[in-house]
Amino acid sequence: MNTFAASMDRFRFGPRQVARLGIVLGILAFFFALPPIEARAYVVPLLVGLLGAACGIWAVTRGVGRIAWGAVTVGVLGIVLGVLATRSSGTHLHIVVSWGALVASTLVWATPLTFAAIGGMFSERSGVVNIGLEGMMLSGAFFGVLGADKFNSWAMGILVAAVAGGCFALLHAFFAIQLRADQIVGGTAINFLALGVTGYFFIQVYGDVGSPGNLPRIPNVNIPGLKHVTFLGDAFGQLNLMVWLSFVLLIVAHVVMFKTPIGLRIRAVGEHPRAAETVGISVYLIRYASVTLSGVLAALGGAYLAVGFVGSFNENMTAGRGFIALAALIFGNWRPFGAFAAALLFGASTALSFRLATYSDSAAVLFQALPYVLTLIAVAGVIGRSVPPASVGRPYSKQ
Amino acid sequence: MARPPRSALESPATVAAASDTPVLELRGITKRFPGVLANDHVDLDLRRGEVHALLGENGAGKSTLMNILYGLYRPDEGEILLNGKPAEFTSPHGAIAAGIGMVHQHFMLIPVMTVAENIVLASEPRRNGVLLDTAAAERRVRELAEQFSFHIDPHARVQDITVGQQQRVEILKALYRRADILILDEPTAVLTPQEAVELFEILRRLVADGMSVIFISHKLNEVLDIADRITVLRRGRKIDTIPREGATEAGLARMMVGREVLFRVDKQATTPGGRLLQVDDLHVRDERGLETVRGVSFDVRAGEIVAIAGVDGNGQTQLIDAITGLQKPDSGHVVVAGEDLTGGSAHSFLEHGVGHIPEDRHRRGLVLEFTLAENLVLHDYAKEPYATRGFLHPKRIVEAARGLLKEFDVRGGTPETRASALSGGNQQKVVVAREVARDPKVLIAAQPTRGLDVGAIEFVHRRLVEERNEGRAVLLVSLELDEVLSLADRILVIYEGQIVGQYDPSVSEEELGIAMTGGAREAVA
Amino acid sequence: MSSTEPEQPQGGEPGGYAPSVAERLAFYQRAGGIITPIITAVIAFFMGGLVVLATGHNPFKTYRAIFDGTGLNWFFHFGHHHITLPFTHTRVFFWWDTNANANASYNLSQTLLLTTTLILTGLAVAFAFRCGLFNIGGQGQYITGAIVAVWVGSSWAGMAKGLHVFLAILLACLAGAAIAAVAGFLKAAVGAHEVITTIMLNWIAYWVGSYALGRGGPLQNKVDISVPVSSDVVKSGKLPTFWGNPELQALHVGFFIALGALVVFWLMLNRTTLGYQVRAVGFNPEAARYGGINVARNYVYAMAISGVFAGLGGAMDILGWQYRLGVLDIQVSNIGFIGIAVALLGRNTAVGVGLAALLFGALVNGTSTRGLDPSVFPPTLAGNLTLMIQALVLLFVGADVLVLAIWSSRKKIGLGRRAASPPSPEGAAT
Repeated sequence: MNTFAASMDRFRFGPRQVARLGIVLGILAFFFALPPIEARAYVVPLLVGLLGAACGIWAVTRGVGRIAWGAVTVGVLGIVLGVLATRSSGTHLHIVVSWGALVASTLVWATPLTFAAIGGMFSERSGVVNIGLEGMMLSGAFFGVLGADKFNSWAMGILVAAVAGGCFALLHAFFAIQLRADQIVGGTAINFLALGVTGYFFIQVYGDVGSPGNLPRIPNVNIPGLKHVTFLGDAFGQLNLMVWLSFVLLIVAHVVMFKTPIGLRIRAVGEHPRAAETVGISVYLIRYASVTLSGVLAALGGAYLAVGFVGSFNENMTAGRGFIALAALIFGNWRPFGAFAAALLFGASTALSFRLATYSDSAAVLFQALPYVLTLIAVAGVIGRSVPPASVGRPYSKQ
Repeated sequence: MARPPRSALESPATVAAASDTPVLELRGITKRFPGVLANDHVDLDLRRGEVHALLGENGAGKSTLMNILYGLYRPDEGEILLNGKPAEFTSPHGAIAAGIGMVHQHFMLIPVMTVAENIVLASEPRRNGVLLDTAAAERRVRELAEQFSFHIDPHARVQDITVGQQQRVEILKALYRRADILILDEPTAVLTPQEAVELFEILRRLVADGMSVIFISHKLNEVLDIADRITVLRRGRKIDTIPREGATEAGLARMMVGREVLFRVDKQATTPGGRLLQVDDLHVRDERGLETVRGVSFDVRAGEIVAIAGVDGNGQTQLIDAITGLQKPDSGHVVVAGEDLTGGSAHSFLEHGVGHIPEDRHRRGLVLEFTLAENLVLHDYAKEPYATRGFLHPKRIVEAARGLLKEFDVRGGTPETRASALSGGNQQKVVVAREVARDPKVLIAAQPTRGLDVGAIEFVHRRLVEERNEGRAVLLVSLELDEVLSLADRILVIYEGQIVGQYDPSVSEEELGIAMTGGAREAVA
Repeated sequence: MSSTEPEQPQGGEPGGYAPSVAERLAFYQRAGGIITPIITAVIAFFMGGLVVLATGHNPFKTYRAIFDGTGLNWFFHFGHHHITLPFTHTRVFFWWDTNANANASYNLSQTLLLTTTLILTGLAVAFAFRCGLFNIGGQGQYITGAIVAVWVGSSWAGMAKGLHVFLAILLACLAGAAIAAVAGFLKAAVGAHEVITTIMLNWIAYWVGSYALGRGGPLQNKVDISVPVSSDVVKSGKLPTFWGNPELQALHVGFFIALGALVVFWLMLNRTTLGYQVRAVGFNPEAARYGGINVARNYVYAMAISGVFAGLGGAMDILGWQYRLGVLDIQVSNIGFIGIAVALLGRNTAVGVGLAALLFGALVNGTSTRGLDPSVFPPTLAGNLTLMIQALVLLFVGADVLVLAIWSSRKKIGLGRRAASPPSPEGAAT
């Protein structure tokens, strides 16, 4: 350990870098055991993983918090998964792990979460708790289908979804901001309301036959040159337009929130509304706008799910994705890239859980609890603490 | 030295023309809150380049007046003149645009943001039209800071800098917005003495540069140090405006406190018994981490009332919390009747015979939604005769309450009435009844008559003296000089977290007032 | 909204996510007395009616049909009947016809089945609320209780009947308490907001349940492994029924257990030292601390007790009429969430929760495929109407300001003849 640390010092690595290296090693431990490398000897993942965990432990002793513990965790996970992989049959491995398809599938599942989580970020950064993301997403899914069907255009579907999501959000905003009602009760109500409204009108409009099969779908973006490149072709060659839009949204959201005056004001209102008011910022206006935007974005996530990915609507089709988005937002510490990273992680766990069914149906199901367990750990502060905006959830009253 | 031009009003011609017009004038400002007349036809004028102190006790109406000026409240009557022209502010936005800057008593800063972000908020420099120009913001803050010799890092987070520096950020916020009138609300309340000296230097530089300052305070020595003119407010009314020349601490104290002596409680001399409460070199921090109690030692004997007099915010709150178990002190000892309880829980202090009439009966003293009977057993609900093995005996609780309400003359409620339905005086009687009825060895009363009417005040005072006569050790912490002088057997003055003097109750109000506002510190030290 | 108090800095408590419910609890408990819940319900039903009208149905006929579906019309048909006293052979005179095959009485028994569970999930929210905590996790605690109940009830065959039922209920309650206490502990120890933690725990319970009962899961039945359902509860694990045919979901003694829980809730809050502490912490944590009460410990206790109620609810459903639990049951269930509406509409009081549970139980049953006459209004629509009404109740119950404004302005808009009475200072009975 000492010689190891010494050698690290010689390379002028800070403990933080060592911790990052540990995470990489932990991932590699698993990676070596998978196709295309597919090391069959269990010592390979064991050694690499141990090295990663050791990096983490060393960084912990040097006072690095979150990522150091992350390195230890990833290292141990890498060993466990890597050793399991070496024990598994090759055919199974190839079914589960085809990297390109796995990345594409992760992005598919992560995209609705990204839209909703970034939407939620705007609302919560401005100081309004939004546990109604689920409902806003669901409304986006239904009204997206309705719009795409009635106007026979996926673009109109997206537009109608955005307006519907915005309306639900505006309702939440009115109760939370104007009437200073409890924001958690309000958000819960929005979820029920969206469930009821979408279910009701779905049956009212489409009856028992369900949404039409010839729904105009949001197109995929084919990148011609990429098609035959081994990994990149499978991963990025055929992604839906909305997936690419989510990347754009991610960057725009980051810039708006952290690089523009608007973002500064939104954050100021969420941290200390009175201070914002004393320099002449309208707290109500900022909050209304932010909450409404959150509904629009969450609805876009729902629209992607229904009009882009599945191509139809069924009742309660979001099935808790709004809550995973909320978890991603919290896990990502109310930051766009953090939320996106969490969405990718949670998307990957969903994508994997479908493939893991090859090994065991039941284990694959259990795997889906992972996002929630991780978020619980994050708010408990075991590995660094997620800290919300200081005034989130507090109704603000002018003098 | 060239400051950037602030507004058109400052062009040489207007300055000359306006030289005898006050930059700001308040005429007949009146503001009523439910049940309170916070400002009663207050007049005030501010000349260019002066520091005008607004002096008054807590609740005299200073902050209300300034919030009206800053557009946070609307006055019920009266008008505001800016450079001789009527102005009306409906929001801080208007006041800012008119060149008024305010440093609030509780800073309006966002802890997680940087100094520069806090300063430029809502009038941010931009690049490419939409992006926040952080570099320009930091540059301008740095320039502004250098111009006035502030030492501040624009890139630091507000939560990481000292309170004194935070205050400078607030001043820079006003300067950045080109304010030419600066209001400071109790600016030294949160500062160390050294930081206060630095603040005064800054203010002098600003004034020399043409800034006009309204300085709100209740500390006489400071006011005499910094102000050009002094306006004294008392109970919402303006008493007088006087120039500093010729003003004395004694004179100001008299104007501030007034001559209304309520009454003197009849009180026989007693011989104090054994020491029931001993506090030894106590150090306590507030929630900001600032050490607000800095080495306090004293004792209270059986059968005496010791009063701790002082202006609000000099460490009284943390001192009380530490000697009742509500907060753990950093160091030092609290000994109750010979038993060292330092660091114990509130429960253990209660069990060892400490009674505590808290300073805020709504926040702490009462559960307003509880009935009077429930409130009266707040400490003893789990004990016989009120409960047996975890089950309450509501009848016994109500019966005990009935007796207490009668004994303490609580009016307007039965044991089943909710505490929120009572008047303030009667609520306080309930608190007193509960604390006294437990037969405590030590009774700590923190501002026990705050906000009460004369009758209730008299009741509380009489009761405290009776408890002293019963042989309890009574510690009275109060901001009211009348109260301190009429009740105490010994008076300790607390100033900036330290006991700066001990006095006999025969001391004059003036002398006490001077000590409370820092005048006696050198004498003692 | 003016105040002479000095401005408080608005910094959040460390790890805070929303203000403590305590800040608003007092208001919830008092404002408008019994008026606000009633108006809230009326508004919600009125707006639901508008939706029905707007989509081309007759709201009056629809509500009438729903009412008939609830079985509450049973009370209007009285005459000379006889009833066998439960668990005896004695027959006595009774005003109403208890023949469970008759439509109304069957519907009523189903309404009461739902009421039973809703009382318990409502109490789970209400008890935490009285301690200033917002327990969104009733659903997860209910599922946890149900899973443990089905596990105990379907295994351990051959145990004495009373003991088996008792053990199943006890362990279900403890399981519910345990998962809820996690949230209470995190709140007490690190200040993690209970809303976030209970939401996460809900989904953890959801997926763990789906795993345990799903294909290949440890609790899946061994008879038909293609069906993701548990084994059946054995005879000794079932609760006795007293009204109706157990094959067709009869009303079981859990109904009385739930009524008993209401009494226990009331007693615990108002007649025990624990309840005193919980209420003090709920109304004013700072005063409680000043009074010598350990606030953190009460957070854990209050959540655990809430979990007992919700876990008991899960046990009642499994041991009383479901007798088995499937993955689909877990996935479509939202009875724990309805508990939020029940508690808030019922003002977190025992009587209120009982009445609100009956209202929602009736509403859910009245709009079910079973209860509603499809020729009047399609039950598939009605189920969603229920959700909307529930949502509106939550929305308006959280905005007393608006409801009270509507109430006090009713004179202006000509809704009432009497002058608006000021909001009663007395709260609804606890």
